[in-house]
Amino acid sequence: MNKPKLSKSGVPTIPMNEPMSWEDWLAGRRARRETGNRVAPEIIRRPTSSSDQRLRKLFHGERGLPFKKTDEL
Amino acid sequence: MKPDQIKRALADITAETDPTLKHLKLASLVSAVFREHGIELVVVGGSAIEFYTEGAYVSGDIDLCVDYSSTALTVRLRQEVMAQLQATGGPRSWQVGGLYVDVLAGFENLARTPVRRLDGPCGHVRISPVEELIVERVLISRYPGDYPPARDCAKKLLAAALLAEIETDWTEVKRLAEDPAYKNWNDLKQLVHEQAQALQIRSPYHPDE
Repeated sequence: MNKPKLSKSGVPTIPMNEPMSWEDWLAGRRARRETGNRVAPEIIRRPTSSSDQRLRKLFHGERGLPFKKTDEL
Repeated sequence: MKPDQIKRALADITAETDPTLKHLKLASLVSAVFREHGIELVVVGGSAIEFYTEGAYVSGDIDLCVDYSSTALTVRLRQEVMAQLQATGGPRSWQVGGLYVDVLAGFENLARTPVRRLDGPCGHVRISPVEELIVERVLISRYPGDYPPARDCAKKLLAAALLAEIETDWTEVKRLAEDPAYKNWNDLKQLVHEQAQALQIRSPYHPDE
């Protein structure tokens, strides 16, 4: 199997023309989160949406499950 | 998939507490069962952005669109397929594995670049092309009015693309932004320049590129 292309931070790039393996995608999670944190707040989940009623009912008042912290990825 | 395979996959998804993994595992399972009926789905919206960026954006629902189908996707067929997953609800939105799944009509996509594919636990997940997601989020961030959540999504997508975490066709991004369907090239170019500056790298639209 070919080695994946790497991003500037050294993790596997999500490729355009071939499937990305589960392991390669997992390996880049933390780096992708850290990249986003450089340009926007860490958590950017919308505070409201048209699905609020059903989501808050399912997630005990929240709109989804809590996110993992960056250092847990 | 055999019933016992589905049962094991559902148990894993239900127990998963990481929202991004939960979404990806469920997208893989739902895509697999629809694929067995000749129907290919593609992940759009917030879940697609999450898979590309790990951006802590996604909520408790996942949107999938029908990309192509070799059989008529009737209400009856949708309900039968989702019944395999012990889902409740319908006919376009179901609760399954601790999330909501929406299977929507035809996939709106102008990008000439391919749908990206991630190998999930039950088979590959197809994701809306990043080029279109970028242009779309930049548009939503400005029209019909300024919308900061969409701008943050656009920034995170652009940052991941600029650092080659996602293989991105910048010529296609420009073409889409100039297309009458979007007409937001100036907004997009400005935001790309700003993110490139924040990341201390050169914009793909720098005159010397």
